[in-house]
Amino acid sequence: MLDMQHIIKVYRTDLVETHALRDFSVTVAEGEFVAVTGPSGSGKTTFLNIAGLLETPDGGRYQLDGDDVGTLGDDARAGIRNQRIGFIFQGFNLIPDLDVFDNVDVPLRYRGFVTRDRRARIERSLELVGLAARMRHLPSQLSGGQQQRVAIARAIAGDPRFLLADEPTGNLDSLMARQIMDLLAEINRQGTTIVLVTHDPELARRAHRNIHVMDGQVTDLKPYAARGAAPDAAVA
Amino acid sequence: MEIRPILSALLRNRTGALLVGLQVAITLAVIANAFFIIASRLEKIRRPTGIDTPNLIFAESEGYAPDYEHAATLSSDLALLKGIAGVVAVTSTNSVPLSGGGSANNYHATPDPKAAPIAGNYFEVNADFIDAYGLTLVAGRAFRAEEFTPVPANNDLPPVLILTETMAKTAFGAEPALGKRLYDENGKSGEVIGIVSDMQGSWLGNTRPGPQDLVFHPNGGFGKTWRYVIRVRPGERDRLLPQIEKALNGSGHGRAIIWVRPHEYWLTRTFRADRRMVVFLSTLVILMTAVTALGIIGLATFQVNARRKQIGTRRALGARRADIVRYFQLENGLLGAGGVVIGALLAYAASGWLTNAFQMPPLPPLYVLASALALLALGQLAVLWPARRAGAIDPAVATRTV
Repeated sequence: MLDMQHIIKVYRTDLVETHALRDFSVTVAEGEFVAVTGPSGSGKTTFLNIAGLLETPDGGRYQLDGDDVGTLGDDARAGIRNQRIGFIFQGFNLIPDLDVFDNVDVPLRYRGFVTRDRRARIERSLELVGLAARMRHLPSQLSGGQQQRVAIARAIAGDPRFLLADEPTGNLDSLMARQIMDLLAEINRQGTTIVLVTHDPELARRAHRNIHVMDGQVTDLKPYAARGAAPDAAVA
Repeated sequence: MEIRPILSALLRNRTGALLVGLQVAITLAVIANAFFIIASRLEKIRRPTGIDTPNLIFAESEGYAPDYEHAATLSSDLALLKGIAGVVAVTSTNSVPLSGGGSANNYHATPDPKAAPIAGNYFEVNADFIDAYGLTLVAGRAFRAEEFTPVPANNDLPPVLILTETMAKTAFGAEPALGKRLYDENGKSGEVIGIVSDMQGSWLGNTRPGPQDLVFHPNGGFGKTWRYVIRVRPGERDRLLPQIEKALNGSGHGRAIIWVRPHEYWLTRTFRADRRMVVFLSTLVILMTAVTALGIIGLATFQVNARRKQIGTRRALGARRADIVRYFQLENGLLGAGGVVIGALLAYAASGWLTNAFQMPPLPPLYVLASALALLALGQLAVLWPARRAGAIDPAVATRTV
C-alpha cells in the first residue's frame, strides 16, 4: 500500500542543512498497524509528513496504492490527502470556533459530499468514538481525550484507507491514552491501515510492527513478536 | 459553501469582525451620499450655458458725471465696440448669465392680475442680442432696431418680448407661444414675437424662476450702471479683451469702466464652491475607502497569522490553496454584506437628514447599490493578498508543535 524507497529529505536554511531523512525505505501493507518510533529529531515526523503528502521528498520514490505520489502537484496531493488519508495530530488540531459536528465536517466539505451524506458520515463516526451526544459542543467544552476522539472521528468520517497518527496520545493521561489506542485498534480491525508515530514503547507494542527510525534512517523493521521478550529494547 | 460555519466562527470572534463591518457600514453611508453630491455638483458644473461662453466678454460701465447721458453713451459704446476688428456682435444687457445677480418679474398669461404668476428672469437687451449671446432663433423673429428703447419712460412691459423655449413652455404649456401676450402685475402686456434656444439665466439651481425661464425685453434700462456682451471671433478673446477695455476707457462720456472680463470668470466664481466640494468629497471617498481597505487587510492578515495552525490543518485535511483563498473571500464577503446592509440604512438616514437640513433631493437607490457593490468588490480585492498568503501556508504546519 505504502512504498517508500530511498527517500531523502533535506531542510535548508541560510546557515544550516539538516538531513531529516536519508535513504529512507519502508513498506506498509494494506491493513497493517505500524508503529514508527525513534528519538526526537530522528525523522519520524518528516516521514509522517511525506507519507501524508504534507511535504514532498527531495529524492527517492514514494508510491501509494501503486501510484507515484512523490512528484504530484499541490492540488492533486490535497485531493489524495482528503480522499485516502486520515490524520490524527498530537495536539488534536480541532478548530476552536467550530463545534464538534462542524469540525468533523471540515474534510467532508472539501470532498464535496452532499449535506445528507455528510451528516450521516459525521453521525456515524461520532457514534463510533462515543461522542454522538456532544455534536454541538465546542472543543473547549471537551476533555483532552474527548477532543482526540473528535479528531479521530474527523479522520475516519471520509472512510480513508490509511490513517496517520502523530503522537495521538502525547497530550493525554495513561487512561485516556489507552482508550484512544483501543479505538485505533478497533478502526484497524475494521480494515483501515494505520501508521502511528510515537515515543511511547507501550503504545508501539500494540502495533503489528515497529519501524524504528534513527538519524533519518530505518534501523529496525522487525515485528514485536520476532523480538522475543524485550521488544522495548529495540526502540530505546 | 461554508457560510454557516464561517458565520458561527465570526460570531464567536465578534470584536474584529464587528469593527470592520461597522467600518464598511459607515464608509457606505458616507460614500453613497458623497457620490450623489459629487454627481449633482458635476452635473451642475458641466451643464451647458446655452451661450457662446468661450468667446464672450462682458464689460460694466457706470456713469458718474453730472452730465452723464445714458442713451448717448449706450449708442456710442455699441458703435465703438462693433467697430473693433474681431468683434462679431454686441448687445447691452442688465445681467450676466450665471453671475448670481439679475432681475425677475411675475408675468401672467392673461390680463387678470390674480391669475397664477409665472416667474421669469428678464434680460434687457438690444436688437443684436441673439448673435451677441450666440443663441439660435427657434421661431418668430428677432427684435428690430426701432423696437429698442435705450431709456424706457416707465417700468411697463415693452410691447414686444422674446422668450426662451423653456419659458415658452412654462408660460403657455403645449400651446404655441408666438403671438400670445404676457402681462405684468399692472395689466400691461407685450406680445411674444420670437422664441430662442435655451440659455442659463442669472441664477443656477433656482426653482422659481427656473434657471432657463428667460424673457428678453428690448430696453436699455434706467440706471447709470450698465453692461455689454461682446462676442468675438473664436480664439480672439484674450487678445481683444485689453483692447476693448482700452477703447471703452478712452471713450469719455463721464463714466468709468468698472470691469471687463471673459464670461468664464463668472463660471469659475459661480462654481468655485461646487468644485471645492467635489475635490473635498472625492478626497474623503478615497481616504475612507483606503482606510476601509486597510482595515480589511489588517483584520484578514491578523486572522491569517492567528490561524496558521488551523489553516495548515485544513490543508492537511484536503483543502486546496483555492479552498483557503475562497474561505477568506467568503468570510470577507459575509462581513461586507452585513456591513453594506447596515450601511444602506445609515446612508438613507444620512440622506434624510441632508434633505431636511439642506433641502437636498433624496438619495437615489442606484447610488447606494453602486457604492455597496464597489465596497464589496474593494473588500474582495483587499482580502486577496492575505487570503493568498493563507493559501500558501504549508500543510506540514499541522504537524509542527511550535
